[in-house]
Amino acid sequence: MNIITGLLVATIRMSTPLMLGALGEVFVERTGVMNIAIEGIFLMGAWGGFVGAYLTGKLWMGLLFAMIVGILCGAVYGYFTVKLKQHQIVTGVAINILTVGLGLFLYQILFGIPLLPLTVEPLKDIAIPFLSDIPIIGSALFNQNILTYLAVVLIALGYWVLFKTPLGLIIRSTGENPEAVDVAGINVERIRFLAVLGSSALDGLAGAFYSIGFLGLYTNNIIGGRGWIAFAICFLGNWDPLGILIGSLIFGFAEGLSVTLLTSNFKLIPNEFLIALPYILTIVATIARRKFNVPAFLGKPYIKERG
Amino acid sequence: MEKNNQHNNKNIKRELSLKKQEDYFLLNLLPIFSVLLGLLLSGLMMLLLGHNPLTVYSNMLNYAFRDIYNIADIFAKATPLILTGLAFGFAFRASLFNIGAQGQFYIGAVMAVGFALKLGSMPLLLTLFICFLMSMVGGSIWAAFIGYVKARFNANEFLVSMMLTYVAIAVMNFLLGGFLKETKGEYPQTDVIPDSGWLPSLIPHTRLHWGFVLALLVALIAYLILWKTSLGYKIRMVGYNRDAARYAGINVEQIFVIVFFISGAFAGIAGFTEVNGMQHMLIESFNPLIGAEGIGIAILGGAHPLGIVISAFLFGALKVGGNLVVQTSRIPASIIGIMEGLVILSVVFSYFIRNRLIILNSKKKLAVQERKDL
Repeated sequence: MNIITGLLVATIRMSTPLMLGALGEVFVERTGVMNIAIEGIFLMGAWGGFVGAYLTGKLWMGLLFAMIVGILCGAVYGYFTVKLKQHQIVTGVAINILTVGLGLFLYQILFGIPLLPLTVEPLKDIAIPFLSDIPIIGSALFNQNILTYLAVVLIALGYWVLFKTPLGLIIRSTGENPEAVDVAGINVERIRFLAVLGSSALDGLAGAFYSIGFLGLYTNNIIGGRGWIAFAICFLGNWDPLGILIGSLIFGFAEGLSVTLLTSNFKLIPNEFLIALPYILTIVATIARRKFNVPAFLGKPYIKERG
Repeated sequence: MEKNNQHNNKNIKRELSLKKQEDYFLLNLLPIFSVLLGLLLSGLMMLLLGHNPLTVYSNMLNYAFRDIYNIADIFAKATPLILTGLAFGFAFRASLFNIGAQGQFYIGAVMAVGFALKLGSMPLLLTLFICFLMSMVGGSIWAAFIGYVKARFNANEFLVSMMLTYVAIAVMNFLLGGFLKETKGEYPQTDVIPDSGWLPSLIPHTRLHWGFVLALLVALIAYLILWKTSLGYKIRMVGYNRDAARYAGINVEQIFVIVFFISGAFAGIAGFTEVNGMQHMLIESFNPLIGAEGIGIAILGGAHPLGIVISAFLFGALKVGGNLVVQTSRIPASIIGIMEGLVILSVVFSYFIRNRLIILNSKKKLAVQERKDL
């Protein structure tokens, strides 16, 4: 495998969880709620994925368990922010702190402190016949694991739902004009709460990608800010599934590049800065991106007037 | 225009004082209840593990206050937490989110250790003073960048401050791998700094050092800036209502930069107290949660310097007691993080209760008023 193919493979692979996380974030933010617990839910998803897969020996159980754990975290976040109308950033930060302790705690409860990290066999790559034989791009695009295909399909589906269906109209209106949605007889709180749960399920899946998608193990710093990057991609992709597809690929490329260079003999740039590359890119992109299509009621709780 | 400004200021002042009036005794006790709720929930986690939470907690208390060494350790542990708590709390007063105190802390620590090592022995307290100054400046400039891009490009400060933490970690690791690496060259850590860079201890034979007093002073300064200067008034006004502040003629963008500059200074100083007071060297990825804990402490302390100091004591006690319980029983060390997380979440919950109580109270007042009017 030559270096360009290797880079492409790494790019697509590293952008997969970002696509999943950012897509969930697009949907939830379109309803007016920022899911700031995203980093913590990624971590719990990674934990859930590993534990589910390790204990049952079945990877799909891991994925399922990761989604359930994600939804549970999302339920707590949604309860505080949507039902109790508490500050989203403060609540999100609190949950992120909690999950750092929780991930380690629950791991140690189950497995003690093993000398070597426990491992599972990670998800297998699925080669699509014929297409995967295309030179250079074939194995990058058509020889990935199930989550990558799922992420791409979900993005296409997400675009269609968001912009072409009545449900999408409701979702977008909830973030732009919750009062109108309310007057139309639709429960704003319910839409938002369900959106939080849905995005958290995707976050859980995204987290599981890091533990059982290719590494096959769980450590407490396995996510290392990738949840925040997914959160940033949602902003930078202008709350549009196609925008986040591009954004995820760019960040996946930065990470893929850093991984490829780290494992090669290229020593011109210190390793530490290669590792920092995606984060620096996020900062640059956040600064450079000026025109945003922010949902009007993003981050503002909807308080129904009572007579 | 001038008159208008004054009028606006007066209005905001009136609203602020109105808010104060509604505070009453029970509301001020809410943080204590929420701490207890958080500990109760953590107790449930211990029950799951088959440990009796009551024994665990009484052991924790016993350990934390067993002797002067442990008691002093509570305050030594609280020292950097006060500072990172202030870093978040100060910016929070301006409705800005500096969640990157961790990175500013690392930059401060790198500056402190770098200058302590390279300066060598200097007369008087000069080494200490330079370390202090440079760690503060390092944290300040690192954070001021966040304020600057927020002001100039309207960049999301929340994201930029978070991402900069990872960049700071990279900078620290890079320096620990080369420029600052120990002479033995074995581990990614520095040599022990010379004696002239050590903060003297406050109580002999304990780990409590003068950095603690410094942290308290910084908290006092934060209080004075926020409530006793016109700058602080502007900062709080920006936090209270950004648009109103702009109409009142305040240069909001300038305030962003100043707030981040000061906030970063606090976190940078935490690097100084940890390096020169506690560790006396720099080890890769040390104190990895100090920024997050600072956020929790600021939330628990209501973003008020006094509240932050008290909350930092609580977290210090949790750490000292918790560490000893963990060492002497089979409970995993991560229970300490869980206790912290659950306490903070309970505090968020108490905000909800607090609002409910305030609404209930004003409704009652309104009802009384209406009856009088009739």
